Amino acid sequence: MSDTSNFSTPAQVKDALNSQQYIASDEIATTVFLTAQLGKPLLCEGPAGVGKTELAKSIAGATGRELIRLQCYEGLDETKALYEWEYAKQLLYTQLLRDKLQDTLAGANTLAQAADRLAQEEDVFFSMRFLLQRPLLKAILNDKPTVLLIDEIDRADAEFEAFLLEVLSDFQVTVPELGTLAAVHRPIVLLTSNNTRELSEALKRRCLYLFIGYPSVEQEMAVVHLKVPELAPKLAQQAVELVHRLRGLDLRKSPSISETLDWAKSLVALNARQLDREVLENTLSVLLKHESDLQKVKRRLDVTEKGPRLEEDDRSLRRRN
Amino acid sequence: MDERMIRFISALRAGGVRISLAESADAFLAVDMLGVQEREAFRLSLRATLVKDAASLPTFDELFPLFFDSADAQQPMFDATQEMSPEEAQMLAQMLKQFGEQLRKMLEKLLRGDQLNQQELDKLAQMTGLNRAQDMQYRDWYAQRMMRALRFKEVQEALREIMELLAKMGMSKQRLDQMQQLIQANQQALQEQVNRFAGQKIAENMSEAEPDDANIDDLMDRPFRALSDREMDVLRKEVRRLANRLRSRIALRQKRAKSGQLDAKATIRANLKHAGVPIDIKHRDHRLKPKLVVICDISTSMRYCSELMLSLVYALQDLVTKTHAFAFIDHLEFISPDFAGKEPNAAITAVLERMPPGYYSTDLGYALNQFARQYLDTVDQRTTFILVGDGRNNYNDPALDAFQQLARRSRRMIWINPEPPMLWGSGDSDMLQYAPLCNNVVMAATLGELTEAVDQLLSQP
Repeated sequence: MSDTSNFSTPAQVKDALNSQQYIASDEIATTVFLTAQLGKPLLCEGPAGVGKTELAKSIAGATGRELIRLQCYEGLDETKALYEWEYAKQLLYTQLLRDKLQDTLAGANTLAQAADRLAQEEDVFFSMRFLLQRPLLKAILNDKPTVLLIDEIDRADAEFEAFLLEVLSDFQVTVPELGTLAAVHRPIVLLTSNNTRELSEALKRRCLYLFIGYPSVEQEMAVVHLKVPELAPKLAQQAVELVHRLRGLDLRKSPSISETLDWAKSLVALNARQLDREVLENTLSVLLKHESDLQKVKRRLDVTEKGPRLEEDDRSLRRRN
Repeated sequence: MDERMIRFISALRAGGVRISLAESADAFLAVDMLGVQEREAFRLSLRATLVKDAASLPTFDELFPLFFDSADAQQPMFDATQEMSPEEAQMLAQMLKQFGEQLRKMLEKLLRGDQLNQQELDKLAQMTGLNRAQDMQYRDWYAQRMMRALRFKEVQEALREIMELLAKMGMSKQRLDQMQQLIQANQQALQEQVNRFAGQKIAENMSEAEPDDANIDDLMDRPFRALSDREMDVLRKEVRRLANRLRSRIALRQKRAKSGQLDAKATIRANLKHAGVPIDIKHRDHRLKPKLVVICDISTSMRYCSELMLSLVYALQDLVTKTHAFAFIDHLEFISPDFAGKEPNAAITAVLERMPPGYYSTDLGYALNQFARQYLDTVDQRTTFILVGDGRNNYNDPALDAFQQLARRSRRMIWINPEPPMLWGSGDSDMLQYAPLCNNVVMAATLGELTEAVDQLLSQP
């Protein structure tokens, strides 16, 4: 599989993603298919750790494209995201080339003539050689098709979002000294957001939308089986079911798939045969990252022969959605 | 199909989902790509292109089957009289005669397994006022009303009577149970049909509804007290829109501020054209990161506007990363965690439910003291402190010391009061005592004034 144009059905996308060890639901496969076909960016939302970033990596793997990643943070600006002139290198070159420059200018009779000659050489200093390509420009100028991942866009400032709009709508960038640079290949663009703030309507309008929620028990079992095959199926079942019940609790941070996988790995590392109280007390901190959550769950935890269960009160019965 | 999709889109819009023209065009493109044969693929292509917000997904999921499920999806109905012997059938016919015309019709339907026909449904819709309904929220309520109009209770009663009689007349238990089951299934199917019809009808009404354009300007200047529920709805939307506008404005302002610090990189870059001689000095942009502490009074005297005020607090928190929001009635509660990761309406309802109003229990003084004890670390010279309330303290100690301390520590102390100044100091209002300690006291009794107040707050960092 060399290019996305090879995808002719969503089922094909699904298989390709599966071959990258990413278990895609029909929803994910169909949306990714549409993204590739319509050439629109895809906005992925959902709780942390459900595999949004992983999806981008898998798409890159499945299509054989290079993955270019732009991690967003507060204060990210164009010079970090798009391009920057490598001023130090420019200065250095000016210094080193001084003699050569003098040669060039030597024959000039008048000041105007010297200036003209210098102007002819100007392009040397404002060429791609001194342009430091940041992820966005890299994705645009790459001579092979790429997958561009703009991670956690909700962390960037609103003004960066506005700037991004321009790039995402036509995939071209204007560098004043060089002119307009247009994309050779239109990259597949994925934006992820943890929804810490609402994104602007304008950005949403330009994207397709995919909400990735927590998976069902069966899906998560499949993921655990795929990524941690050493874990005994029965133990995996118990573990996944416990994680699902934990998600039903009113916790500060619900365990995500990545945490389930970490937990499964630690169960394997500890060579656990069953989920007894000791194993749980030792490993729960892999799943729960807040002390208060940990205490809450430990209080409720009740280990029987059948495996662990949680005492449920009315509050804990409140399900998501 | 196209027409159906357009109607679906306008129903979604009426349901509060924002869909632009570009998005509906995308939806058509996507459908062209994947076709309409496969229902799931069709659903997903519409969903990915039309809905851009996790909070709108339930609306989509509710409306989609109403527009695109064919009637065949209807639960099957069974003829319970099919296997009856002629004598039994006669018995039944005899029994049915004792009921009135309308009741008999219904009973026959249930026994034979006939659906309601379009005519009957239309009549029901007219009787129950369904034709004017435009809110999915009331779907179940209308379905119930329709069932009541069908006199479903009496029908059930009558059925029980019939079963008893049949038993008495010597029908075998097995046959009776079987019939019972069939009738049960028929009842459910009928209920389902009515429910579906109600949903479809409302969805259709929604798609025909004129775009909502209640006069915002008028509402902006109406005092909070004089707003109906519906107007409140409109205003809530407006608050969200304003919050979006404020967001882009605040971003601009933050960028403009300069700190005076030399930006070496930018300076070198700018002066390359002067061969590195720093002629053009560049300064570093100073990103002002304001901090906010908002305390909102949601006691009984403020209840009429606390919802809007809270949505403002929500918007502020969304806008300014370092916001600590509190609400109080008799004591203070930290409500920022309630807001995190929830959509505005859910968050506000959660807060209001968590803190039910009491009678004459407002205690601003206590809340202020509590703040000074527990959360003083959230206030420093970068913090703008906003108090939203009417200053009616229920004759408790106003805790002016604590308030003064907070005012001194914070960059600015702002009070937003929905009451007009002439009422300040009357009754249990301590507003006149607090006012001199604040940097700004803003009277905001309408949304217009509130917006202006917030806009001003953000413009003077």
